[in-house]
Amino acid sequence: MMETGNFFVLFLSLCGTGIILSALFPDQKNPLILAWVSSLAAIMVLLASGKILLSDQVWQTELWTLPFLGKLVLKMDHLSALFIFVTGLVFLPVSIFTVGYMPKYVSHYNLKTFGIFYHLLFGTTVLVLVSGDILSFLLAWEAMSIFCYLLVNFAHEREETTRSGFLMLAMSEAGTLSAALAFLILAKTSSSIDFASLKSASTHLGPLARWWVFLLSFFGFGVKAGLVPSSTWLPRAHPVAPGNVSALLSGIILNLGIYGIVLVNADLLPLSQFGQGLIVLIVGSISALVGILYATTENDMKKMLAHSSIENMGIISAGLGAGFVFMASGHPILAGIAFIAAFYHLTNHSLYKSLLFLGAGAIDSSVGSRDMDRLGGLIRQMPWTALFFLAGTLSIAALPPFNGFVSEWLTLQTMLQSTALSSTGIKIAFAICGAGLALTAALAVTCFVKAFSMSFLGMARSSGARKAREISRPMLIPMAILAIFCLLLGVLPTYTIPILDKSVSPLVQKSVTDELVPPFFTVKKGDPKFDEAFISEFHDLGAQIGKDFLPGRGLVVLHRGSEKNPVVFAMSSSYSFVVLLLLLGGTFVVCLLIKERKVTRQPAWDGGLRYLLPEMFYTATGFSNPVRVIFNAIFRPTTVEHRKETVAEHFRKAIKMVRKEAHIVDRTIFQPVVEFMQSTSMYLGKMHSGSVNIYTAYVLITLIVVLIVQLLL
Amino acid sequence: MIMVRWVLKGLQTGIKTTSYPRREELASGVSPGLPEGKREPRDGALSVISRCPTYALRQVGQQILVDYRRCIHCFRCVRGVQDVLGWNLGYEWAAYMNKNDGPPPKLEKVFGRSLHIFFVDGGACNACISELEQLNKPFYNIHRLGFFVTPTPRKADILLIAGPVTDHMRFSIQKAYAGMPTPKRVLAVGACGLSGGIFGPSFASEGGVQKLIPLDVGVPGCPPPPLAMIHGLLLAVSRKPPASLTSSGSVDGRKKS
Amino acid sequence: MERPLDSTVKLENLSEEITGRWPDQVRVDLDLQNGLCLMECEASVLRKVCSWLFSKQGFSFASLVVEEEHAEFSLRYIFYSEKSQVHILHRIPKTEATVPSISNFVHAADWHEREAEDLFGLDFEGHPRLGDFVLHEEWPEGVNPMRADFDPSKPYVHREVSPYWRPIKIVQASGAFMMPIGPIYSDFAESAHFLLETVGEDVIRTITRFFYKYRGVEKIAEARKVNEVLLLAERFSGTSAFAHSLAFCQAVEEVSKVEVPPRAKALRILFAELERLRHHVGSIAGICGSTALAVATSQASILEEELLRLCCAVTGHRYLFGLNTPGGITMDFNNEVIQNLADTVQGFLEKLEDLKQMLRYSSSFLDRLEEVGIVSPGSAVSYGLVGPIARASGIKRDLRTVLPYSGYEKVEFIIPCEQEGDGYARLRVLFGEAEQSVNIIRQVASFLPSGPTVSPSFEVTTGAALGWAESPKGATFHWVRTEEDGRVARYRITPPSFTNWHGFHLAAENFAFQDFPIIMATFGLSNAESDR
Repeated sequence: MMETGNFFVLFLSLCGTGIILSALFPDQKNPLILAWVSSLAAIMVLLASGKILLSDQVWQTELWTLPFLGKLVLKMDHLSALFIFVTGLVFLPVSIFTVGYMPKYVSHYNLKTFGIFYHLLFGTTVLVLVSGDILSFLLAWEAMSIFCYLLVNFAHEREETTRSGFLMLAMSEAGTLSAALAFLILAKTSSSIDFASLKSASTHLGPLARWWVFLLSFFGFGVKAGLVPSSTWLPRAHPVAPGNVSALLSGIILNLGIYGIVLVNADLLPLSQFGQGLIVLIVGSISALVGILYATTENDMKKMLAHSSIENMGIISAGLGAGFVFMASGHPILAGIAFIAAFYHLTNHSLYKSLLFLGAGAIDSSVGSRDMDRLGGLIRQMPWTALFFLAGTLSIAALPPFNGFVSEWLTLQTMLQSTALSSTGIKIAFAICGAGLALTAALAVTCFVKAFSMSFLGMARSSGARKAREISRPMLIPMAILAIFCLLLGVLPTYTIPILDKSVSPLVQKSVTDELVPPFFTVKKGDPKFDEAFISEFHDLGAQIGKDFLPGRGLVVLHRGSEKNPVVFAMSSSYSFVVLLLLLGGTFVVCLLIKERKVTRQPAWDGGLRYLLPEMFYTATGFSNPVRVIFNAIFRPTTVEHRKETVAEHFRKAIKMVRKEAHIVDRTIFQPVVEFMQSTSMYLGKMHSGSVNIYTAYVLITLIVVLIVQLLL
Repeated sequence: MIMVRWVLKGLQTGIKTTSYPRREELASGVSPGLPEGKREPRDGALSVISRCPTYALRQVGQQILVDYRRCIHCFRCVRGVQDVLGWNLGYEWAAYMNKNDGPPPKLEKVFGRSLHIFFVDGGACNACISELEQLNKPFYNIHRLGFFVTPTPRKADILLIAGPVTDHMRFSIQKAYAGMPTPKRVLAVGACGLSGGIFGPSFASEGGVQKLIPLDVGVPGCPPPPLAMIHGLLLAVSRKPPASLTSSGSVDGRKKS
Repeated sequence: MERPLDSTVKLENLSEEITGRWPDQVRVDLDLQNGLCLMECEASVLRKVCSWLFSKQGFSFASLVVEEEHAEFSLRYIFYSEKSQVHILHRIPKTEATVPSISNFVHAADWHEREAEDLFGLDFEGHPRLGDFVLHEEWPEGVNPMRADFDPSKPYVHREVSPYWRPIKIVQASGAFMMPIGPIYSDFAESAHFLLETVGEDVIRTITRFFYKYRGVEKIAEARKVNEVLLLAERFSGTSAFAHSLAFCQAVEEVSKVEVPPRAKALRILFAELERLRHHVGSIAGICGSTALAVATSQASILEEELLRLCCAVTGHRYLFGLNTPGGITMDFNNEVIQNLADTVQGFLEKLEDLKQMLRYSSSFLDRLEEVGIVSPGSAVSYGLVGPIARASGIKRDLRTVLPYSGYEKVEFIIPCEQEGDGYARLRVLFGEAEQSVNIIRQVASFLPSGPTVSPSFEVTTGAALGWAESPKGATFHWVRTEEDGRVARYRITPPSFTNWHGFHLAAENFAFQDFPIIMATFGLSNAESDR
């Protein structure tokens, strides 16, 4: 097998080839070229990072040494290998999807530029993850932001697109600035700009500097990660971007924000104060709750998925926050479990979110609309899309046997581990945030039941939905790949967790694999950690079934608490999946054996109506209305009602109702800030009186002030 | 606190449920009764027959026969007339309606102890529906017999129809009948469903359920009292024997002196 | 708008004022003995006269009777007030068939005009929504069943229904949809179709489609003898059989100028109140059932069954069928039997009072009824609502005192009236009326006059008259026109459910879905009665 470095070089050269080929080939052939080259590049990247993940080595190379600054380093340790692997996992299917999806843009926009930017984005994303020093990191980050903006802005002739894209770029730049400042503070005491030097020098930083680094990096990278309050760009950017770009945006780009947070706060300068971890936890929980609330009441499918991304990033952030708090209070094992939960959720989110976005793109290109109130009944015309979308829906709603269940379960279990902490205040905070996460999980089920059933079940509500046809194979295969991965990661957590542990253990300095996946299959007698009594207890529960022919450590995810806090939590989605298959299969077999079945098909019972019309079905708005009503304090919509009546008011001809609402973050944070700035500017604008004499007076006053200051100092 | 008082009140009231079908119900006022044909009537027979507005009476030989499917309890054949017809205060009136095919195959094995009923109102005046509503109330309580009402035909075993089947309900009733899985039975309650009642066949009503869908069991009466409807349901699952649709058969119950 | 309910309108002043306002266009005929004023009116002032009577003079709208004569249609608008009736007659030749609509001013006439349009083919000019009322979408165009040339015994040719047929949609909001209910919905419910327009929680607009139970009673009554039509009157709505048959008999007695003996009148009052008591207990059971308060439902149902058995034991039929006949009632009763009945009913009242007290303190039950399904007094007046529903919205009108019949002037009782117009107010009115019914029964039982229970047999003469009664659901009006040979030429029924279903949507709007069945139970209306 080749070395990681070689794979990496191959990857870069493939990206370069892709750029050149995209520039050369005409628009019609471009998506195909893009798909081929980009898939190969993704495979290269998977091999490169996979090699690192499965072994214990780390890859590093130094590029140049700059004067005054230090070495420019490229390195792939286990943390970045994990993120790069996820990146490859998402880029592969999205590239294949592009073949079927982009042709709809052929005569409107230039597909060559799309291909060029696509490969550039791929390359710079991996470069961000591979950077080993501040300069290359920031350069790659900026490039990634710009190419991401260019791709999101692809349909640039629509005003909505340019506005949203510009907002995204502006907020991204603000975040980058904040993150850069954090890096600068970090580099204050270091001799060189590479991360290794930063890490060793960071121990000298005082508490105030640490707080500044934390705040700047958390809120700076938080913009990219889509955490409240800087998430306003995300729901605006997703609907205007092309379908495959949305998948990349939610599946990969948001992860980069998390990578930045983890890099600075867990790797370079590990957090030492509870307060910092608590802030991450609380911001994460609030993002999760706000995100899912708006997702549940949203009818545009891509906007809904965008809000849901905010929710999932919130969950990841909450897991990270819990980990930070555990680290700061001296529980490295619990911290490790928390980080594993967060990284598992990150991986899962990338997979199922890109699956859902590809599904939304498929529906959009087939029906012509994304509004769930205009879909309906698509399961008959698009059965395969429905099946894969269903897999994505079940995953995001955290239902077994899919992957979302495992990571959501682990995150909530981590929250419950707060009993190991000593401070009551923190325990209360954990309890409240845990309850908030549980609420978001429940709302997520509502949201995605609505998403699937309003789009695919029921009757078609518009002519576009009636005329929809199944999408082409190149669009189905990537969805299938992602759906299969979702299932695999859900059914085989005991194989995934040891790999994730490789990324987590450098951060907490302890390996957590034994704590989470006891080696029921491979345990030997006399092992100090797993005594006879323990093993036999779980043997009776079936934890050693399959010991003889299955590889790996075991199939049960189990954690025993410490002596002080002996709480056991355990789950085996692998065994549950087998039981599920047996039950379903058994039912199927029994049905086949019963011979006397007479099947008649009649239309669904509708009360004896002559025609059941699409207007009589629940709409997406109606389905989520109870949520809107219960959480009215957050939504605060304003409704304007017009009644058109005839002369005697009892005959009503038409009642028209228009509802307007502003996002809570906009309402509480941005609008007041904007208004304040506007009013301050108006006030200060009085300085511009327009009279030349006053301006001359300003010059004189400035001169006098400068003289005085200089005399005083 | 008030909930405790409700519970106590319910317990205080005791058991009101009738013990039919285990024992005969002897309380007064449970049934309006049906006329009973008599042998060797006196001379006023023809005039009595003409008093019936629905042509339910006819003379066969020396006997006046009553077609129970048409009787609407108007009492014109007994009030103001001297002792021509008897009056029977029984309530077990249900009978099989498709005599040509013989009695339908027994349902008792499958549905004897658990029958789900789907009710469709085919234009009934409220009296039959009011009697039907008493079935779920304390005095009659069909749950103890294993009969339940379901709101969807998919889960139903028996279709209960009241009313003469108005023309506007034709489509819905056919849809409901088609929407029931086999095996299924149809039970018509009231004279309207059996013969059209006083409305009869007209432009707005079919004049009987049989014109629309196959009918298995019929319960005559206008309205049939709840005990007769229970008899009809028990007949549908073969837990009770049928009565006759004309007065020459045996009719249970007491006689009015 | 103040309604001068307590003052007696002098019909003479009225006719003077009318002839003063519209001297040439209205011709007035007074029948002071019967409290009837007959006016013949031209098309140009029809609206003004009706609207003036309704709004300024405080008359209530009873019915619109359309009769077909040889070459013309005659429309009779019937208004009534304290002990007086005004019939406004308007004739149009068959060739014209366009009538000015009065619905914009007298909203209570809305459904009457829609029914006449469907059944007779008349065009009411100015009515904003005609069509799709009685006759549904499969009925052929241009065929009107109430016309003389339509043969009621044959089925009609159905029309192919267009697949593009849609019900009318009123609410335009993003995400609005119509929730369909019926025609077949919950267990033992009558067939009716509702479309609830909503955006998810609250019902914004209720669209009702009735006449699924249309049996064409008015048509099949034509050319039948009075004895047979009596059966139709009794049985088109079984739960108010006595009241409807009473109204019909009174109409026939009015036509033939027959005097009903006092014992028959007293017994009629007794049984009418017995029916009202049983009906109200059933409604109370229905309201408790809709809120799922199981013990209360059972208590009320036990009372209802006991009342049914009592009716059957005394009169032979549980629903009092076969009791009324033109001229009196068909059976006589021992005074002792009647006294026993009064005592038994008094015992039932005590149990009912107990139930009422317990319900007053069940807050979870009241929560579902209070401030739910509100009908404002103004709407009740303009829609012309009748019965316990109107009395719960502040309209203290009861035909037993406004147009007394069958000897009600001799009985003392109060009319319970509430102001809120919500579900709880309607429940209280039901309890109050049940109490008053028992009161009346006991009064009649103690002062039962002796004598025959039916007048000597008579021939039905030719003529036309209006009969009315306060049935348990409200005021009902039966218009009967007889021809030679004692057959009925035209029979028009205005049941209280027809009037009240019109105003049902007022109560259902702006309340949540879950309140809909409860609001329907508090209204306690019947589709069989309304659809005829």
